[in-house]
Amino acid sequence: MSENDKHQSMEAGEIARFLSYIVLLLTSVALFVSAGHIPSSMFETLGAGAVPRFVFGTIILVAFIAVVDSLRKIPRDAWDRFGADTLRWVKSRFLVLLCFGIFVLYLLVLPVLGFSLASFAFVLAIQVLLMPRSPVTILIAVFVALAFSFGLNALFADVFNVFLPRGDLFHG
Amino acid sequence: MDSLLSALSQIFALSTLTFMLVGTVAGIIAAAIPGFTVTMAIVLTLPLTFNMDPLQGVAVMLSVYVGGLTGGLISAALLGIPGTPSSVATTFDAFPMARKGDPGRALSLGVWASFFGTLISTAVLVVAAPPLAVFAVKLGPWEYFSLIVFALTIVASLVGSSVLRGLLAGLIGLAISTVGADPILGRPRFDFGFEMLETGLPFLVVLIGIFAISQLLSEVEDARTVRSGASLVTGAIDFKTFKVMKEVLMSPVNLARSSVIGVLIGALPGAGGSISNLVAYDQAKRASKTPEKFGNGTPDGVIASESGNSATAGGGLIPLIGLGIPGSAVDAILMASLMVHGISVGPRLVLDHSDLVYGMFIAMAVASFMMLIVSVLSMRLFLRVAAVPKWLIVPTVLVCCVVGAFALNNRVTDLYLLGFVGLVGYALRSLGYPLAPLVLGVILGPIAETNLRRALMTDGDPTLFLTRPISLIFLIAAVLAIAWAVRNHIKTNKNNGKNAQDAS
Repeated sequence: MSENDKHQSMEAGEIARFLSYIVLLLTSVALFVSAGHIPSSMFETLGAGAVPRFVFGTIILVAFIAVVDSLRKIPRDAWDRFGADTLRWVKSRFLVLLCFGIFVLYLLVLPVLGFSLASFAFVLAIQVLLMPRSPVTILIAVFVALAFSFGLNALFADVFNVFLPRGDLFHG
Repeated sequence: MDSLLSALSQIFALSTLTFMLVGTVAGIIAAAIPGFTVTMAIVLTLPLTFNMDPLQGVAVMLSVYVGGLTGGLISAALLGIPGTPSSVATTFDAFPMARKGDPGRALSLGVWASFFGTLISTAVLVVAAPPLAVFAVKLGPWEYFSLIVFALTIVASLVGSSVLRGLLAGLIGLAISTVGADPILGRPRFDFGFEMLETGLPFLVVLIGIFAISQLLSEVEDARTVRSGASLVTGAIDFKTFKVMKEVLMSPVNLARSSVIGVLIGALPGAGGSISNLVAYDQAKRASKTPEKFGNGTPDGVIASESGNSATAGGGLIPLIGLGIPGSAVDAILMASLMVHGISVGPRLVLDHSDLVYGMFIAMAVASFMMLIVSVLSMRLFLRVAAVPKWLIVPTVLVCCVVGAFALNNRVTDLYLLGFVGLVGYALRSLGYPLAPLVLGVILGPIAETNLRRALMTDGDPTLFLTRPISLIFLIAAVLAIAWAVRNHIKTNKNNGKNAQDAS
């Protein structure tokens, strides 16, 4: 990455941070207002909504300072490049996003397929995605997937008496 | 005396010693894996201790902790990758020493320094925790609230490059802690009709999501490194066990100074091994007659870093046992394990459960001996773990996280929360928000709110926070901590600007 690319990437990062401050600011304003509707108590000076109001009020203040500080650091022309920089960042994090997507899918099918089957498929899929492929590594991957799915399930059920999801599909 | 004997009999029971040995080995292995922190190892151990006696459970977790503080040394020395954040400074000298053909000495120095660091911190813990607890029972909700305020400001000022983002992260943690029934009257807050939110967000699921999932996702950012799958560990290893022990003991000042730094930083709420190893290394370098040797494989650098990070274990237990305040995420999990067994952790812990407290002291010492024996006997085996490629680590640890999150409440909805929190954690990490303040905000938030409201229910006069001397001291310390952080931030910015000018 050249110096210019690095500089542009830092500017894009600052814009992303600026947007995160805005999201925090707006969410905090909404929750600050919502905290005002929590009923107070006649038994105490502070009600259940006092601390949330204080916390969200402080976030509003700090996020506002952060917004101003961030705006100061972002050059005007950086905004034009933000879309392209974001796309480049997403492309560079392709593997992270793919792994996370598979993880989410795993969490969604886990109650349906059960821990053992879902975990076996998940561990094997991620390993195959990340590993340098050869007959030996594939064999290791299958063995590890078995150990961390069916093996782990048996360990928790038989040794620790902790029962992981059995799956609605087969035991519904 | 009865409590001490009871603790001794519980710790030296064969089953407890066996579990502790397994815990020590597991801690060393876990921390040797890059990306697998001590915190994650302890989190994964927690559900396994639910069926144990309270002391047995805590002893096993302490073994994992002590083992883990040493295990980070393995990948730090041999691969130049800190296995855990607490072994960052270990890479500065242990790695060059290993590269120069002396990996056994580098490992052995680290193991002995860790052993002595843990022993020194246990001794300080034994002396300091009981009087602090007796003092602490006299404190009221005003002092506790001010102490938590102080703890929160330390977190924000010590972690990360940006004070603003550090503060925001801590505040997000506090905001998360306000979800669910309020701690005094149980009124519903921010549950938005979701049943899962009615009792609040389970903090261990938040912890696993924030630390583990986001860390594992960041491990696969560089596709080329992940897919290379190559091992970096080569060459024969000679530990020179007793020769190196003498070498470590020949540096008593460095060892004692680094251990005391570790204890003090460990005792500060919010600080921990990730800071103490760097501070201890920095102090050793400043005090050395040959500072130019640091960074090139000097033994003093390894001793300072490893004794500094291992001593935080005992230090962190001082506020936990004395005040009922977890000094770090690991201490918070230890606290949670006791709470699962219905034990209220606070200043009365020493008075009401003295056998448990004595047991924790003994377990620390026993765990450090176990760590030493295990390390010396089987370091060659552990080397293989450090060589495990990321393509094996990432999916298997993710599955372990899922098991850890599910086993806590047996709720599938907690798994969806885990995924969501993991994504938020990764986003915050990518945006440069420090994650430690957020987690400590989640932990300290309810304690702060309970004490604030209790104080004002006892006496409606808010000036008591300023007129009660100890409360005032904590509040002044909080203001000073913020001022110190802001000053350092300005100084760093100035230096960075100056360096940039010089470079151009």
